[in-house]
Amino acid sequence: MQWLEGLWTKEGAGIDKNARPLTGLALFLDILKREWWEMVKLNLLFLIASLPVVTMPAAMFAMARICVSFADDKNTYLLRDFLEALPKFALRGTALVVFSALLVSAGTYATVSYAGAARLQLAYSLPFAISLAVTLFLILLSANCSVVLARQDLPLSETLRQAALLALTKPLPMLAALGFVAALWLAHILFYPVSVFMPATINFSLGMFALCFVARNAAAKTRARMPEPAGSGA
Amino acid sequence: MASISLKKLNKTFGALKVVHDIDLDIADKEFIILVGPSGCGKSTTLRMIAGLEEISGGELRIGEDVMNDVPSKDRDIAMVFQNYALYPHMTVYKNMAFGLELRKAPRDLIDTKVQEAAKILDITHLLNRKPKALSGGQRQRVALGRAMVRNPEVFLLDEPLSNLDAKLRGTMRSEISKLHKRLDATFIYVTHDQVEAMTMADRIVVMKDGHIQQVDTPQNLYDRPINMFVAGFIGAPQMNMLPVTLRRDGDRFTALFDGTPLPLPADIDTGRLRPYEGKDIILGIRPENFHEFAPADIDAGNVSPFAAAVELAEPMGSEVHLNLVSGGRNLVARVSPRFRAKIGDPVELVADLTNAQLFDPVTERSILY
Repeated sequence: MQWLEGLWTKEGAGIDKNARPLTGLALFLDILKREWWEMVKLNLLFLIASLPVVTMPAAMFAMARICVSFADDKNTYLLRDFLEALPKFALRGTALVVFSALLVSAGTYATVSYAGAARLQLAYSLPFAISLAVTLFLILLSANCSVVLARQDLPLSETLRQAALLALTKPLPMLAALGFVAALWLAHILFYPVSVFMPATINFSLGMFALCFVARNAAAKTRARMPEPAGSGA
Repeated sequence: MASISLKKLNKTFGALKVVHDIDLDIADKEFIILVGPSGCGKSTTLRMIAGLEEISGGELRIGEDVMNDVPSKDRDIAMVFQNYALYPHMTVYKNMAFGLELRKAPRDLIDTKVQEAAKILDITHLLNRKPKALSGGQRQRVALGRAMVRNPEVFLLDEPLSNLDAKLRGTMRSEISKLHKRLDATFIYVTHDQVEAMTMADRIVVMKDGHIQQVDTPQNLYDRPINMFVAGFIGAPQMNMLPVTLRRDGDRFTALFDGTPLPLPADIDTGRLRPYEGKDIILGIRPENFHEFAPADIDAGNVSPFAAAVELAEPMGSEVHLNLVSGGRNLVARVSPRFRAKIGDPVELVADLTNAQLFDPVTERSILY
């Protein structure tokens, strides 16, 4: 068993304090490499916490809070932080998810309707374009709202303001992150049954981490004021 | 107040006694180093202070309180181990916070202390990393940090630098010394490396076979060793031990080595030498107290050069260590790098006996101490 101990306690190469900090995709992959096992555990926690269904929004925000810590490269106590966040977001999180879902659904419905109408009559192209843009904005706003709310305890108006600012000034990274989330689910469908365990192990947490990661970077770039979440454990 | 007192402390493993009734008083905020060869009982003594080994006999006090039967966790001490003993599955932050979490310390306090310790040790950038990514030096800092966050009165360090390479060891030596000054706590440090002991300690405890040989400041140990063991252990290269015969010439004493008279300093304590007049004793000379004979030495008087043959020359950059043979004895001289000598060359050396030590060949104790 000594070889196992040796493997477990083997000395590493060290971390150079003055090394150029990783950014962008390299940083994303670096965090993923270090925290993948935590993400698997987080995914399972999310699924367990979502079993009663009504708790799903709160579980999603609790997961987002942990992912924000991953993205900030801060220490997390997975179970403790998750369980603390769960009741915290029970009301606000659920309200926000329901409200967002209604708006996005309405936007999607309008877009689909106008798309069908535009095929028959060109005059509907403009409403179609507007509804498409509004729906996209609503999706971006919802995604950013989730991250901003998970990151900090701000009043709803300030949360919306910051999320809207991010959605307007840095829409592309969040769109890419949403594309990544879609790709994860697509991979699950395409590679089924090989990918049968993806949703149970990584899809939710990795997807949320991607959203939190791009929102963090976008916030840093737009110099949006985003103070640390209280009790993040770091 | 974290003074520590050992009274007749001993440790036995079955029939084997490994620590023999040692007495030692360590002052509050002192940096004391236990040094000695492997198996001398230094780590066992430290572990008894830590509460990791049961005390077989004697008394251990920390401050005013007898600690013999107090559990380790209640002794207000923190220990740093040679192999760091970090939890590999925890991040650096969690490793450092673990002790406080067990004590149910408030979360904010834990965070403050971890961040403070990390800042002092310059490991803030490592807090979210696991030990497997860290180098030996970084792991050592984390181990120190883990001890620091508990803010103990006493730090016990068991050969903490042994696993590091020479360069890093040098750096960490000075960092631990700075840390001691900054934390203002009592440090008890175990090592077999006398360089660590000499450079860091307020006082050094030299141990051998479970006995304390001498307790003194590094310089005093070097200048006035109590016996041949201490004289040989402290100093690198170690002190040369020459068998000489003590002779009296008028009111001065001379050590006769292989027929060469080596006059002892005029201010030497002659009262202590009289009983050894005409007898064989051991003359201890530090390697740096040899130098190449020069005519000026004759002018200075009272020196007699003696012949030696070079066996090996070890250039160290700033100096050369010459391994010599003289009178059938091996000697080591520390000379200037300008000294050019090839293997087999005969050389004439002069010994400066101002700091020479004289030992009784039977008891091995210093005659002058």
